Amino acid sequence: MNLALIALLPFLGAVLPPLLIRSGRNVCALATGAVTALALALLLVQAPAVFRGEVVRASFPWLPQAGLEASFFLDGFGFFFAFLILAIGLLIVTYARFYLSREDPMGRFYAFLLLFQGAMVGIVLSDNVLLLVIFWELTSLSSFLLIGYWRHLPEGRQGARMALVVTGAGGLALLAGLLLLAQVAGSYELTTILTRAEAVKGSELYLPILLLVLAGAFTKSAQFPFHFWLPHAMAAPTPVSAYLHSATMVKAGLFLMGRLWPVLSGTEAWFLIVAGTGLLTMLIAAWIAIFKDDLKALLAFSTVSHLGLVTMLLGLGTGTAALAAVFHVLNHASFKAALFMTAGIVDHEAHTRDARRLGGLLHLMPITGTLAILASLSMAGIPPLNGFLSKELMLEEALHTEWGGTGRLFPILAVLAATCSVAYSFRYVTHVFLGPVRDDYPHRPHDPPAGMWLPVALLVAAVVLIGILAEPVAGPLVRLAAEAVTAGAAPEATLKLWHGVTPALVASGVALFAGLVLLAAFGPIVRLREALWRPEAKRMFEATVEAVATGARAVSEAIHDERLQRMVAWTLAAILAVGLVTGWGGIGTGERPGLPVAPLGLLLWAGAIAAALAVALFHHQRLLALIVTSVVGLIVSLTFVWFSAPDLALTQLSVEIVTTVLLLLALNYLPRESPRESTPARRGRDVAIAAVAGLGVTGLLWAILTSDFAIPTISTYHLAESKPGGGGTNVVNVILVDFRGYDTLGEIIVLGIAALAIFAVLDSTFRGTAVQRLRTWSHEPEAADRHPMMLVVATRIMLPLALMVGIYIFFRGHNQPGGGFIAGLVVGVALIVQYMASGWAWARARTRIDYHALIGFGVFVATATGVGSWLFDRPFLTSNYGYFHVPLLGEVELATAMLFDLGVFSTVVGVVMLVLANMARVAARAEPQTGVPTAMDSVPEPRLADERITTTAPVPVPERTRQEA
Amino acid sequence: MPASLHLDLVPLLPELVLTVAALLLLVLGAARERVRAAGIVAPLTVLALLVAAALAGVLDRTPQTLLGGHFRFDAMAAFLKVLVFLGVAASLLLGSSYVEDERIDRFELPLLALFSALGMGLMVSAESLLGLYMALELQSLPLYVMAAFQRDQLRSTEAGLKYFVLGALASGMLLYGCSLIYGFTGTLSFTTLAQSFGPGSPAGVPTGAVVGLVFVIAGLAFKLAAVPFHMWTPDVYEGAPTSVTAFLAAAPKVAAVGLTLRLLMGPMADWVGQWQQVVALVALASMVLGALAGLVQTNIKRLMAYSGIANVGFALVGVAAGTREGVEAALVYVAIYLAMTLGAFGCILAMRRQGTYVERIDELAGLSTRQPLLAAALAIFMFSLAGIPPLAGFFGKYFVFFAAVKAGLVWLAIAGVLASVVAAYYYLRIVKLAYFDPPAEPFEPPSGPGLRLVTGLAAILVAGFVVLPGPLFDAAAGAAASLGPPAPTAPVR
Repeated sequence: MNLALIALLPFLGAVLPPLLIRSGRNVCALATGAVTALALALLLVQAPAVFRGEVVRASFPWLPQAGLEASFFLDGFGFFFAFLILAIGLLIVTYARFYLSREDPMGRFYAFLLLFQGAMVGIVLSDNVLLLVIFWELTSLSSFLLIGYWRHLPEGRQGARMALVVTGAGGLALLAGLLLLAQVAGSYELTTILTRAEAVKGSELYLPILLLVLAGAFTKSAQFPFHFWLPHAMAAPTPVSAYLHSATMVKAGLFLMGRLWPVLSGTEAWFLIVAGTGLLTMLIAAWIAIFKDDLKALLAFSTVSHLGLVTMLLGLGTGTAALAAVFHVLNHASFKAALFMTAGIVDHEAHTRDARRLGGLLHLMPITGTLAILASLSMAGIPPLNGFLSKELMLEEALHTEWGGTGRLFPILAVLAATCSVAYSFRYVTHVFLGPVRDDYPHRPHDPPAGMWLPVALLVAAVVLIGILAEPVAGPLVRLAAEAVTAGAAPEATLKLWHGVTPALVASGVALFAGLVLLAAFGPIVRLREALWRPEAKRMFEATVEAVATGARAVSEAIHDERLQRMVAWTLAAILAVGLVTGWGGIGTGERPGLPVAPLGLLLWAGAIAAALAVALFHHQRLLALIVTSVVGLIVSLTFVWFSAPDLALTQLSVEIVTTVLLLLALNYLPRESPRESTPARRGRDVAIAAVAGLGVTGLLWAILTSDFAIPTISTYHLAESKPGGGGTNVVNVILVDFRGYDTLGEIIVLGIAALAIFAVLDSTFRGTAVQRLRTWSHEPEAADRHPMMLVVATRIMLPLALMVGIYIFFRGHNQPGGGFIAGLVVGVALIVQYMASGWAWARARTRIDYHALIGFGVFVATATGVGSWLFDRPFLTSNYGYFHVPLLGEVELATAMLFDLGVFSTVVGVVMLVLANMARVAARAEPQTGVPTAMDSVPEPRLADERITTTAPVPVPERTRQEA
Repeated sequence: MPASLHLDLVPLLPELVLTVAALLLLVLGAARERVRAAGIVAPLTVLALLVAAALAGVLDRTPQTLLGGHFRFDAMAAFLKVLVFLGVAASLLLGSSYVEDERIDRFELPLLALFSALGMGLMVSAESLLGLYMALELQSLPLYVMAAFQRDQLRSTEAGLKYFVLGALASGMLLYGCSLIYGFTGTLSFTTLAQSFGPGSPAGVPTGAVVGLVFVIAGLAFKLAAVPFHMWTPDVYEGAPTSVTAFLAAAPKVAAVGLTLRLLMGPMADWVGQWQQVVALVALASMVLGALAGLVQTNIKRLMAYSGIANVGFALVGVAAGTREGVEAALVYVAIYLAMTLGAFGCILAMRRQGTYVERIDELAGLSTRQPLLAAALAIFMFSLAGIPPLAGFFGKYFVFFAAVKAGLVWLAIAGVLASVVAAYYYLRIVKLAYFDPPAEPFEPPSGPGLRLVTGLAAILVAGFVVLPGPLFDAAAGAAASLGPPAPTAPVR
C-alpha cells in the first residue's frame, strides 16, 4: 500500500498548489514541498527492508481482462532512482519558489511539477509493464506542459511539441517492445520477466524487442540520433531544465535500460547498439557543447553527452560497468542539477545567459560563482570531486573494450569525448565567472536570496562529499542499485578516490591537458567549425514533418475535390473493385436447367437492349429519352407475359403508363435538351464504370438465375397456402391482401402521404415568387390544335370502357390476374387521359370527387377491414371468405380480402389523380392566355381564386360526362 | 402465422417510448408557434431519450427475438442503445445554444434527431437483412434533412444534397447486397443464415452471397464514413450546422459500428475468412487516410471529419480481428470515441466571437490564457484522441490493436500504431495553439448550460477513465458474449 502511495501522493497533491496559491506563494511552495517530503519519508520507511535485500511489492487488480494490474515493486535500483527523484525534487521546489517571478502563475507550475514527479516515481516503481508505459507517457505529457510553461517564448512552443512528438513516438515503440517482451516472458510483471532471461534471449523476437525498447529508451534519454529535441526543450524555466532535463526525466531511458539489463544485455546486438550509440552520443554532444554560447544549451548538450556515457557503460554489459553507470547517474544528477540552477541564477540576475556577454561574475556573485566552479570541475572530472570517480571507472572500462575489430578505437573515442568535456566545463567556468568584471551586463548581477543558492549548495556539498568520502557516503546505495541492475552479478568493488597510477588516470590527464589546449584555441576552432558543413538534426526533423505534410496535402487534394461527380465515381469504382475481387472466378453458371428460347423472345430482348442503349445516347433530348425508356418498360412487361406472370405484366404495364404520363407532364417544366457539361474524358470514365458495373450485375444475375436456392424459399409456402389459407388462386393477389396484408396496408398509407406531400409541394408553386416565375414562363409557339378533336373524342368514348375494364379487373383479382392495385391504376389512367386530351380546366370542372377524401376513404376501408377481424376474435387482418349465389351471375366468391382490396383501389386512384391532376394544373397555369379553347366544350370558370383564366361564363356540363366522372 | 403475431413488446420499450414521444411531440410542435414549440420540444426530446436509455439499461438482457424475427434484444443491443441514446441526448444538449444563435431553433430539428435515434436503436437490434435496411434508412433520412437544415446557407444545402445523393447510392448498394444474399441463399434472417452456413453445415458459402456481403459491407462503410466511402464526410461535416455535425459525428457512428458487429459477428461469424480481408483493408485505408489528410486541414470541422474517419478505422481494426476480444475492443472503442467526440465538439461549439461562430483552427490560439478551463478540456480531448496514456483514448486504441495482434493481424496493428503517430501530430498542433501561441481575442462564454454540462462531463469521463475502467470493460464483455448462437425462435425467411 505504501508503495502505491509514494507514486500517487504527488498526483493527489497536485490539486493543492492551484488551490493554495491565493493564500500566497510561500504557502503554495510549502504545500508542494510537504507533499514531496512526505513521499520521500514514505520511501525512506522502506529503506531498511530494501537494504536487507528484500523486494517490496504491492498489487491491486485494475483491468485484469487486459493484463493490466496496478502493481508496484521496490528493489535497490528503484529505490535509488526514487530517492534521486524525490530528493532533487525537494531542492527544485525550493529553488523554484525564488526563481519564478511574481507574474508567473506559480500554482499551475507546482501542479505540473508534482504531476511530473508522480509520473517519474511511477516509472521507477512500476511492476506491471503496461503501468510503466502509462507513467512513461505521463512524463512526456507533463513535461510538455512544463516546457511550454512560459508561453510567451516562441522557441518554447516549438520545443515542447517536438519533444512530445519524439518521446511520444518512442513511447509507442516502447509499448510495442514491452508487449512483445511480456508475450515472450509470459508475464506482464517485471519481477517475473526479469527471471526469464534465457527465454527472452533465446527467443526469435529478441531483436525486435531490443530495437523497440531501445527506441523508447534512446528517444527519452536523447541518444543519437534522437538527441536534437533536448536542447530545444531548454526554453522551459530553469527549474524545469534542472529537474527534467538533467536529473530525472532524461534518465528514464537509462533507468529502463538498467531495469531490463538482466534480460536484454550481454548479447552481441546489445553491445553493438547500446555501447556504440552511447559512445557516439557522448562524443558528438560533447563536441557540440563546446560551441554553445547559450549557457543552458551548453549544459543541455553536455547532459546529452553524459547520458551517452551512462548508456555506453550499460552497453558494455559487465558488472563493473553497470556499477560505474549507476554511480555516474548519481554524480551527474548532483553536479548537473547544480549547474543548471547556477545558470538559472545567472540568467535571473544578469538577465542574459549568453556566454559572450558574460564574464567576471565571480567577483559580483561570489557564492554562486564558487558553487558553479566546483560543480563544473566535477563535470570536467577533476579530483577530488565525484565526477572524477565515475569518469575514472568509465575510462578504466573503456580501455579494455574491443570495438570495431580493434582495442584502440573505443578508448580513443572515449578519451576524445572526455577532452571535449573538459573543454566545455572550463569554458563554463572561464567565460562566465572568471575574467575581468564587465560593465555591459543587461542587468548588474549580485548573489540571489539564500533560497535560491541553498539548494545548489546542498548539491555541491554532495558533489564534494561523494568525491572525498565515496565509500561511506554513496557506496552502499550505489552497490545496492548495481546489485539490482545486474541481478547479483556486480563486483564487490569499493569506491575510492585513489587507485594508484593506472592507465585510466593517465588517460584522464591526457584529456585534461588536451581539453585545456582546445579551450585556449577556442577562437580559431570556432571559425574552423563555422566553415565546415554540419548536419542540423532539428532541421532534418522539420523537413521530414514538412515532407509528410506536403505528401498529405497532395494525397487529400488528389482524392478529394469537392465535386459530387467525382465522389460518386470513386464510390462506384470502389464498390466495383471489391465486388470484382470477391466474385471473380466464383460466379458462374449454376446447375439449374435453362428454358427454351423462342426467336421472338430474343428479338424482343434485343429491342430492349437497343432501347436502353438509345436512352444513354439520346439522353440530351429529354422527350426522346422518355419515349425510349417507356419502350424498355413495355418490353419488360411483355417479358413477364412470356414467363407466364400476367399479374406482374399488368402491373408493370399500368405503372409504366402512369409514370410515363407523370414524366411527360414534368417535362413541361424542363428545357427540351439537357446541358452538356462533362468533358469527353470524364464521360469516357463514366462509360467505363457503367459498362463494368452492368457486366458485373449481369454476371451475378446469371449466376442467381441458373442456380437453385440453397434454402427452400418462402414461395413454396405461398403457393401451397394460397387457396386453403387465403381463399384465392391468384397467389400474387393473395400475398398482397392476405399474407402480406400488413405490408400492403403500410404501403397504401405511405402512398397517400407521398401524394399529399407532392400536392403540398406543387401547391406552393401557386404562391409567392414561384407563381411569378410561372407567369413569365416563356413558351414556344404552340400548334393551334392543342387539344386535337380526334383525341378528345376518342378519350371520351374510351372513358366508360376503361372504367368498366377497371371494375372487371378489380373483381377477378382474387383468383385471376388483376386486383385493386392494377384496377386503380387503370381507372387512374382513364381519368388522367381526360386531363391530357381536354385540358385541366375542362376536366377539373367535371370532377366532383375530392381526391384527398378518396385517399382517406381507401386507407379507412383497408384499416377497417383489418380491425373487423378483431370482432371475430381473430388477429388483425385475418382473411375470411365465402361463396354466395347471386342471381344472374351465379356462384360468386366474396372474401374480406376483397374489401381490403377496395381500400387499395381507392387509395391508388386517389393518389394517381391527386398527383397527376396537380401536375397538370401547374401546366395549365403555364398555358398561354390566348390558347385555343377546347374544340368541343367551352371552358367553365375555374374554381380557384388565383386562377388567371377568366374568359368565358360557365356552361352547363353535359349530364352524361358528369355521371361518368 | 398467429404464433409469430403474438407480440411481447417489453424488449421494445425503449423504441416504443421514442416512437410515442416522437409522434406526440410532432403534434405538439405543429400545434404551437414555431419559436415557442422548439423551447418545449427540445427538452422533452432529451427527456424521452434519457428515459429510453434508462429503460434499455435496466431491461432483462436474456436474448430475445421478436417482431417476427427481425428484432433482437440482448446485452449487446442494451449496451449500444444506452450509448446511442445518451449520445443523441448529449449532442442535442450541446447544440442547444448554437441553434438559438444561428436561428435554426425550430422544433423539427430535435424531432428529426429523435427519429434518427429510433432508427439507431433498431439498427443495433437488427436480426435480419430487412430489419438492418429499414433501421438504417430510418436513421439516415433524418440526417440528410438535418445536414441541410440551414436552408439559406449554400454550404449547408450543398452538404445535405451531397450527403443525400451519396447516401442513396450507398443504400442502393446495401440493398443490392441484401438481395444478392437472399438470391443465393433464400433467406434474410440472421438466424437462418447462421444455422445454414455455420460450422458443420453441409452447404458451403455461395460466392454470390459473399459478393452480396461485400456490397452490404460497402454500404455500411459509407454510413461509417470509412475509406473509400468517406468522400462525403469532410464536406458534410463542414457544411452542416455545427450542432448537427456534432450529432452526425457521435451516435450514428456508434450505431453503425454496432450494426456492423451484429451482422459480421452474428450470422457471418463463421464466414470470417470471407470478410476479414475486406474489413482489414477498409480499416487500414481509413486509419492512414484519416491521419494523413488531417494534417493539412485548417478548418476544425473538417479536421474532425478526418479524425472521425481515422477513428472508425481504429474501431474496424477490432471488427477485423473477428474474435470476441475484437468485438469487445471495438465496443469499448466506440464508447470512448463517443465521449471524446462529443467533448471535442463541445469545445468547437464554444468557439464564438462577436456573435458569430468561428471554425478556423487558428482561432484557438492562446485559449489557455483567457479560458483556462475550456483549454484544459480541449487538451484532454485532443490528447485522448491522440491516444496518449493515461487518457481514455489510449485504452481504446490499445485494446483494438491488442485484439488484432491476437487474431494474427500484426501488420494491421503496426499500421494502426504508425497512423496514430501521424494523427497525433495534428491533435497536438491544436494543443500547441491553445497553450503556447499568442492569444487571439477571447471567445464569448458559452451561453447554454447544456454545453458546459456535456463538455465537462465528457472531460471527466475521458480523464478519469483510467481510475475505474472496469465497468465499461465488463459491460462490453457481456455485450460481446451475447453475440453467441442466436436464441431459438421461429425464423423469418
